[in-house]
Amino acid sequence: MATETLILPDRTAAVAPLRQKLGHDDWIMRGAVVALGLWLIVTVLLPLWAVLSKSFQAADGSFVGLANFQAYFANPALANSIWHSVWVSLLSTIICVLLAFVYAYGLTRTCMPGRGLFRIIAQIPILAPSLLPAISLVYLFGNQGLVKWMLFGASIYGPIGIVMGEVFWTFPHALIIIATALAISDARLYEAAEALRASPRRTFWTVTFPGARYGLISAVFVVFTLVITDFGVPKVIGGRFNVLATDIYKQVVGQQNFQMGAVVGLILLLPAGVAFVVDQLMQRRQLALLSARAVPYAPRPDATIDRTMLAICSLIAFAILVILGVSFFASIATFWPYNLTPSFKNFDFDMMDGGGWRSYFNSLVMAGLTALFGTAVIFAGAYLVEKTPRFRYARGFVQFLALLPLAVPGLVLGLGYIFFFNNPANPLNFIYGTMAILVICTISHFYSVSHLTAVTALKQIDREFETVSASLRVPFWRTFMRVTLPVCLPAVLDIAMYLFVNAMTTVSAVVFIYAPHTTLAAIAVLNMDDAGDVAPAAAMAMVVFATAAVTRAIYMLLTQGYLARAQMWRKR
Amino acid sequence: MDSTPTTVPYLRIRNLSKKFGAFTALDTIDLDIMPGEFVSFLGPSGCGKTTLLRAISGLDVQTAGSIHQGGRDISTLPVAKRDFGIVFQSYALFPNLTIKDNVAYGLVSAGTPRIEIDRRVKELLELVGLPEQAGKYPAQLSGGQQQRVALARALALSPGLLLLDEPLSALDARVRARLRGEIRDLQQRLKLTTIMVTHDQEEALTMSDRIVVMSNGRIEQVGTPDEIYGRPATAFVADFVGKMNFLEGRLVTSKRAIVRGAVLDFSEEVPLGEGAAVTVCLRPEDVAVRDIGEHSDNRLSVQVGVMEFIGNHFATTLHASGTGLNFSADFSINAVRDLGISSGATIEVALPPKRLRVFAQPRSATA
Repeated sequence: MATETLILPDRTAAVAPLRQKLGHDDWIMRGAVVALGLWLIVTVLLPLWAVLSKSFQAADGSFVGLANFQAYFANPALANSIWHSVWVSLLSTIICVLLAFVYAYGLTRTCMPGRGLFRIIAQIPILAPSLLPAISLVYLFGNQGLVKWMLFGASIYGPIGIVMGEVFWTFPHALIIIATALAISDARLYEAAEALRASPRRTFWTVTFPGARYGLISAVFVVFTLVITDFGVPKVIGGRFNVLATDIYKQVVGQQNFQMGAVVGLILLLPAGVAFVVDQLMQRRQLALLSARAVPYAPRPDATIDRTMLAICSLIAFAILVILGVSFFASIATFWPYNLTPSFKNFDFDMMDGGGWRSYFNSLVMAGLTALFGTAVIFAGAYLVEKTPRFRYARGFVQFLALLPLAVPGLVLGLGYIFFFNNPANPLNFIYGTMAILVICTISHFYSVSHLTAVTALKQIDREFETVSASLRVPFWRTFMRVTLPVCLPAVLDIAMYLFVNAMTTVSAVVFIYAPHTTLAAIAVLNMDDAGDVAPAAAMAMVVFATAAVTRAIYMLLTQGYLARAQMWRKR
Repeated sequence: MDSTPTTVPYLRIRNLSKKFGAFTALDTIDLDIMPGEFVSFLGPSGCGKTTLLRAISGLDVQTAGSIHQGGRDISTLPVAKRDFGIVFQSYALFPNLTIKDNVAYGLVSAGTPRIEIDRRVKELLELVGLPEQAGKYPAQLSGGQQQRVALARALALSPGLLLLDEPLSALDARVRARLRGEIRDLQQRLKLTTIMVTHDQEEALTMSDRIVVMSNGRIEQVGTPDEIYGRPATAFVADFVGKMNFLEGRLVTSKRAIVRGAVLDFSEEVPLGEGAAVTVCLRPEDVAVRDIGEHSDNRLSVQVGVMEFIGNHFATTLHASGTGLNFSADFSINAVRDLGISSGATIEVALPPKRLRVFAQPRSATA
């Protein structure tokens, strides 16, 4: 009957494994994966390669080996920036993550009142360019600052200002990560700890902290990367205190020394790259902690803890509101702090340097196009990477390219765009100086996070949808449009929102590639501040903030109103 | 293997192998499935049953070997060029489409006219007993209803072959039992060739015409449920399907063995030669306690161990007096009551020679 111990002929003899014939769907999907791969090579990989190769070249383009690097390290004024960048970033990271942890603990693990409001306030910094906190700090602690005395004679221009500004600006990023890590803890562990009569303190160190450990580590790396690569805060408030990010700008924009800019860019790539790799490893572990059977933790009221947390969180929220408020009042006062009569004088941008109101409308167009095309490319791309059958190496390579921008500071990417697209030999040279290059660069800059959002959403839907469709002989794109896209709509809108807000506020990548007729609002802030028009700079930053905030509010109404109705099927 | 050698098989699998790197998931599988037959692939996880289904469906094409369906070589065809309907454990219903649109999904793409689609959807929903649910969304239905919708969707294009991938595993016991009968009934009415992958022996035994028991990428036995349960071809099948005592002993003659001091006779001849090490297999429910007088062979005086009340029967361990032989036995509630069997008592039992299966030793990989 059945073969049990039949001795079979030698079938291990090498025969090429069977290959499945490719159907229509396979051809289309593979073609699209290749196209996406080429797109990412042109918009991410080649610009980076341009930075790398430029650092080994002399001004005339000849290969000089490590000469540029030698010159860099021989110049103490430049090499000192490495140390400056590292310690300022470390200090900002420690402060930011500690504050964010306490705040997140209050939001997720206590019954303090007003948690919804605190959550919203904490999101404020994300909606503003990093220049805004720096400008506010100048108003507060600068030479004519309101509360300059609070620094006891120390100067805000330098490390103190940078650290304060960066902590403000990176706070929401750390908060989101840590709050997520704290929110996914398993209530059963706490019940077990209580049943074993562990003290609250012991429970904290043996259950709470280990559970959030990977979230904390992840937050540390994310914040560190954001700070060390940020350009807005040190540019406004850094004074004579040089850091890597401002050095790149000075070398490239100030001295037109592209080679040295490339060298600094590569040095900046190093810590960001390390942080990226470590963070990827950590996130994998955090996921492993999550079991499907975990019971969500629900905090119980505790008057002492709730009151203490309320006090601490209120203090942090107050600081955030003060920093926002200072820019707001500075922008609507006629001449802060001497003439406080409200006026719109500072909003008369057309009278200042920086491109005027036009730069604001440019920003709107740029952010709109980025959200539109970026979401389409990134979501479709994530779908292809996730759902194309077999084709493993090509998909793996595209996945790598999609995650690469996460490790690349915006300044370095922007630098790569000048080197690559401004090269007259490049057939794509024609997009240099147009709105298109700003959009493409911004999409690339924020590609990775959006891609990961899309991948997460796609992984959550049943992986047999495609199989069922194929067995019913329905082409994949039909299922994509009729099922995948509608089911993933919340994630798609998230991505569009993320791209829009970031495109409105970003400075770093686009600062090198805007043209006189494509100035952007956030860059106008920078240029007006540079020119000494600090109040108009604050006003423009507030306009950017208001735009992002309104967009966010509309988005929230949309998701709660329209989406709730259009997505009836989600209800049971 | 060929229970009906006169007809042409609908699905013919030859020399099928699947390798994942150095790991062999399927090892030269040969299998014929007749038209209209319900065949189950049964085995523990990792035995290759799902891999075999994925090869048949084209989701994961085999490394070597061929598959013919209805005379057509489908070995390397893409999924969309094959002819099957599939139902998954997860149902895989499109959550944002109504039941009607789910069932009509394949029909719309096939360019079927609207009126025809409506008629067909109605017909299919009636077939699976859900005519009232057309306008609802999947999340509004129970698990069992969702699985029936998935079945209707799979049948919409009238495929030649129905593939069921653990279709009932996500359902609770009561619904599962009911749906077993419904699916089997539907399959017989449509005379649809069906393959079901399952790790649940009860499911395989109740639904199938034939069962393919698999282990380590190979077929252990192909047979009717009765054959698989009553005459397992290998020790693996004996162990995997149903409960089984494995009693180790030595052959005395070709029809008799000494098992731990007890002499057991069996009806089948074991051509292994005197003194060969064998394993004697005995199902607990085959231990006879009633009308002992009618049994002349394999009568044992045994001590009853702890009696475990299972609900519809008692499970216990018996120790054959004067030997080292212990084995488990199931007694009906009736027998226990009528004969007054209780823990610690000494009773007479018989092991019917026809019910004993004997395999060559050593039975490797005893779990």
